[in-house]
Amino acid sequence: MKKTVFLVQAALIAAVYATITIALAPISYGQLQVRVSEALTVLPFFTPAAIPGLFVGCIIANIFGGGGPIDIIFGSLATLVAAYLSYKMKRKWLVPIPPILINGVVIGYVLHYLYGMPLIPSMLWVTLGQTMACYIIGYPLMNVLERYKDRIFSLR
Amino acid sequence: MIKDITIGQYIPADTPVHNLDPRSKIIITFVFITALFLVNTFFGYIYILAFMGIALGLSKISPKYLFRGLKPLVFIIVLTAILNIFMTEGEIIYKLWKLTITKEGLIQAAFMCIRLVFLITGASLLTLTTSPIALTDGIEKLLNPFKKIGVPAHELAMMMTIALRFIPTLLEETDKIMKAQMARGADFESGNMIARAKAMVPLLVPLFISAFRRADELAMAMEARCYRGGDKRTRMKQLKFEMRDIYASIITIAFGGLIIWSRF
Repeated sequence: MKKTVFLVQAALIAAVYATITIALAPISYGQLQVRVSEALTVLPFFTPAAIPGLFVGCIIANIFGGGGPIDIIFGSLATLVAAYLSYKMKRKWLVPIPPILINGVVIGYVLHYLYGMPLIPSMLWVTLGQTMACYIIGYPLMNVLERYKDRIFSLR
Repeated sequence: MIKDITIGQYIPADTPVHNLDPRSKIIITFVFITALFLVNTFFGYIYILAFMGIALGLSKISPKYLFRGLKPLVFIIVLTAILNIFMTEGEIIYKLWKLTITKEGLIQAAFMCIRLVFLITGASLLTLTTSPIALTDGIEKLLNPFKKIGVPAHELAMMMTIALRFIPTLLEETDKIMKAQMARGADFESGNMIARAKAMVPLLVPLFISAFRRADELAMAMEARCYRGGDKRTRMKQLKFEMRDIYASIITIAFGGLIIWSRF
């Protein structure tokens, strides 16, 4: 039972990530693009199923996002590594750090490589957007979910 | 409003491109993208255009669908152009205060924009002609050799299939939750960026809880039907390489050769 629950939970996390990316895609704050779904990167704190879940969710979101295979591969791998590191974080306030830093560096570089944008500003730009998503949305989300974690995340 | 979003822009049809094995299509797309990055002259783009033209013609997809995929990225394309025009050093054509437009900048901007348009339209052609299910099937099969080094190919493909199945359901649910929260006075549209970001939490929590409830039910249903992972599982639609896949491969190899040749 455990294995199936793990797989299905990961799949649904992927679905939520992709849904939010698609549904809230038009939401950006002026020049600063905030991918609201990145707030879900706090989930590995609660369940390891979020590691493959976020990875697959990011693949799907990027397939529909239209950034092409480079975005699909590197964006998702960045998410995978970040999710694993978040899972390893023992203190709550440290959990959003890996997705902010890793995505900032990797996506910043991808933007530089694909679109010829200046490297350092694009890294800072992505980092800022990630910080918004992870600390301002993700952190409160983590606090709320923590109250219900036994009811939501338990693997029966 | 959310219902207007079409996910998976797949357009079903019975054409040689649609009927190609998804594995061939994924590999061809990768060759195409690699070739795109190998092109280093404007002349090289002629081959890319020809290849796209053949694929598009055979797939009978109206070019208007390809260009629709560009719409959300207009901002990034324009930004690319502007950055390249102003940030490239070289022969100055026009000078306005501190901003300079150089000849090299204009050339570089045009080059990058063309690459970007081909990149996006090439990738959309894959998703336009391949159903998401076929795509995940193809990915699973392509990942199979990596099973030996511990890549859980079946599990990843299964997750993708389940996730794709639930996206429309969850989109509808997001819409419902948004309306329900708005009826309770939630405000998603006004305030500064921090207020707007915070307003997302009351949307995410219910969505999340409902998704996990669905996960529980689905896991139980799968167990009841004796789901035991990927081993010895059979499939309704078997993937098979056919003559058309071989023809497509020959064309792609020739195309790759031309691109490499065009560099010299």
